[in-house]
Amino acid sequence: MDDFTWGLVQIVGVHTILGLSAYVILLTGQVSMAQAGFVAIGAYVAGMLTVLAEWHIIPAMVTGGLAASVLACIVGFPALRIRGLMLVVATIAFGEFVRLFWFNFDYRIAKGDIVVGPEGGEGFKQIRFFPENGWTTQDVAAFVWVVAAIILATLWWMDRSRAGKVLRAVGEDEMAAQSVGINLTVVKVAAFTAGGFIAGIAGAIYAHYTTHIEHLNFDILMATFAIAYPILGGLANVWGTLFAAFFIQVIVIEVLRDLGDVRNLMFGALIILVMNFLPHGLFSAKVVRKLKEWMGIGKMSDA
Amino acid sequence: MEFVDYLQAVTDGVMQGAYYALIGIGFTLIFGVMNKINLAYAAAAFGGAYASLGVAALMNTGGDFGLPPLLMFLASAVAAGLFAWVVYTICFRFTPDHYELATLMATVGAFFLIEEIAVHATDGEPMDFPEVLHGIVEDPMIEFSDAFAIRGDLLTIFILALIAMAVLLLLLYRTKLGLATRAVAQQRTAAQLCGISVDRTNATTFIIAGVLGGLAGAMIGAAVGVLSPLLFVPLTVKGLIVTVIGGLGSIPGAIVAGLLVGGLENVFLALRGITERDMYVMLLLFLFLAFRPQGLFGKKVLRD
Amino acid sequence: MLEVARLSKHFGGVRAVDELDFRVEAGEIFGLIGPNGSGKSTTVNMIAGIFAPTAGEIIFDGVDITEAPPHITLHAGIARTFQNIRLFNNMTVWENLWVAQNSAKQKRTGNPLARWMGGSRRAAAAVEEYLEFSNLAHKRDELAGNLAFGEQRRLEVARSLAAEPKFLLLDEPAAGMNLEEVKELDERLRVLRDRGVTILLVEHVMELVMEVTDRIAVLNFGRKIAEGTPSEVQKNQAVMDAYLGAGEGGSDA
Repeated sequence: MDDFTWGLVQIVGVHTILGLSAYVILLTGQVSMAQAGFVAIGAYVAGMLTVLAEWHIIPAMVTGGLAASVLACIVGFPALRIRGLMLVVATIAFGEFVRLFWFNFDYRIAKGDIVVGPEGGEGFKQIRFFPENGWTTQDVAAFVWVVAAIILATLWWMDRSRAGKVLRAVGEDEMAAQSVGINLTVVKVAAFTAGGFIAGIAGAIYAHYTTHIEHLNFDILMATFAIAYPILGGLANVWGTLFAAFFIQVIVIEVLRDLGDVRNLMFGALIILVMNFLPHGLFSAKVVRKLKEWMGIGKMSDA
Repeated sequence: MEFVDYLQAVTDGVMQGAYYALIGIGFTLIFGVMNKINLAYAAAAFGGAYASLGVAALMNTGGDFGLPPLLMFLASAVAAGLFAWVVYTICFRFTPDHYELATLMATVGAFFLIEEIAVHATDGEPMDFPEVLHGIVEDPMIEFSDAFAIRGDLLTIFILALIAMAVLLLLLYRTKLGLATRAVAQQRTAAQLCGISVDRTNATTFIIAGVLGGLAGAMIGAAVGVLSPLLFVPLTVKGLIVTVIGGLGSIPGAIVAGLLVGGLENVFLALRGITERDMYVMLLLFLFLAFRPQGLFGKKVLRD
Repeated sequence: MLEVARLSKHFGGVRAVDELDFRVEAGEIFGLIGPNGSGKSTTVNMIAGIFAPTAGEIIFDGVDITEAPPHITLHAGIARTFQNIRLFNNMTVWENLWVAQNSAKQKRTGNPLARWMGGSRRAAAAVEEYLEFSNLAHKRDELAGNLAFGEQRRLEVARSLAAEPKFLLLDEPAAGMNLEEVKELDERLRVLRDRGVTILLVEHVMELVMEVTDRIAVLNFGRKIAEGTPSEVQKNQAVMDAYLGAGEGGSDA
């Protein structure tokens, strides 16, 4: 495989993590259009830690994730008072607010004979942890997928646990969930916090493999990708998100590259088509159930 | 800044706020009737403005632009109304009523579709929009002093927007069509029992909102002088903010909030510059969400 | 066990519930009846914590739960069902019961990691018991949304039992059931009472109410117009008037 293909492998990995960050929040019935903002926080924080403070990528990535999760937790509380479409508007505005913050954020120091750090509208260049430490494209791709696999496995396990059912119960009917003793505040804020953490991780990796980030990377298009994967893939389990990230990034955007710019048109058209014909996504609860029956596997109560 | 500078900033801003108000009304109308948000709305509005440029180009008979100014506005309004109906058909008509995630996502898809079509049709370049207003206003400035003046083009936009709003309110409160719309907004099932077709009312509401949006799109084109796909996202975000601040579903709220956001935005611009301006507008929204989530004129909805 | 005092709820100018007083003693089945719109469901929703009362207080087991949100009232030992069934439709029958095990005792005992991250055997055994009790064992892997109407009613009662409540608020559990099903419900309620669960039963189906309850309070226009044993209430003139005409009007709140 050439470097281009390895690069694509990295992109699919990061976009899967991005989709999973929205997946956790969507399970509780909340739509967060702020995921791009959390990604931006993770990207800038982790980038500054490896570039300015010369940390290793792993602690920097975790710290970036934690920083994003703290912000997400703060967003989660007001999100309790508003619901549905108001939350969509509020999170769009929050995501844009974070993007504009980095647009105005300038903090650079001299390092050797060059000046490094985020530079407002010019972006944050020279995030060169991977090349400086001799990581090849394959190494980076492997790293991305180890992280993605850990997150996938954790969420898959959580989905099958009682915690996952509690998230889904809140997503299905808040009043009924409260009435069976579920504390909505805890569940919703926890979902936002977890979603923020995962988005921050995605941002940290993204910043390091592109080596150059700017505020425009974290726009509404990225926020849309984040919710599009789980919604198009279906919320029955994590595999729908993985599949949608692969399908959109590889089939729609790369394989159809020969069609030129028409492929962006296809992203919009694809969303509309899927929502009209499969409104609950490709792998909805009912479809997954049919599949399992057909293959004769996996009944919850047998576990 | 002197007091008169603030006055100038607020005056210009409030007049520009007229098109925020129009976009906000569009979001709020659709929300009022369907209880859903159409995120493709502002994009469809600009689509109308682009289409009016196309119409002008087709009818170009050798002059700068082939259409008289008011006809440009009309063409934009008609085209945007048509686009709004298309958006209704592909995003709302066949998606499940009780699952708002599907319609929301579909309208996001429609947003990107329209944006991409605009990018393709123009190769991503900003298009000059005719300064149609010069035909209407002889003197582009009404000067009161050295430091304070009212721009003729903004004043024209402001007055046009007020007329459009007045027509809309007449339509909603003085016609049978408006009665049906309000009936569906308030009691959908009861309206159905009275023989009102919800589907047709929804479609009509989309078209009315689209016409208003088309007017707003042409106004922005005329005021800014160019049309660019780069305007789609900011205007969608501003329109949504105006809708929430005004109170979801409230038309007077959208008008007041539109003018308020327009005025304050210009003050932020004067004080903090273009890069920080929008951050303060977002902060304004967060203040409302924290302390008055029902908006200026919205109904108080807390527990179900 | 449950004491409701001067309880009022006003929606705008409408007094849905007005200065309501009643006591439910431990171990009894207490009926709450009245014409449509008399304020029964509003009362249930206030006790369960969905609505905050405009005035008055609700004392349960000596604890003031007037302002408590729904999950706190559940922890205190009050579980409920809804008039218009509210199940988690995209989850299986078994999962609906599993997710509802949230009593204070269930939260305290056992390893929290096992409780949240695994399906502990004790929890699973309890779920099986409620499945058997509600005659839903053969449907355990069916999605709740695919059940027949009567089965959904049974599942909702089973779900409310999953938190091992001391007190059960049942909001029209027999609505839409046939006579056979009503009889089964009657038997189940008696079994529950014998196990020590106190029940507040809001119901329109008089065959059930008059058979199974120990005492009844009758509401009309948000006020209590009568209280007593089923036979006393049946003879009450005010109750007959309420049901035979004067009770029209108002929306079912």
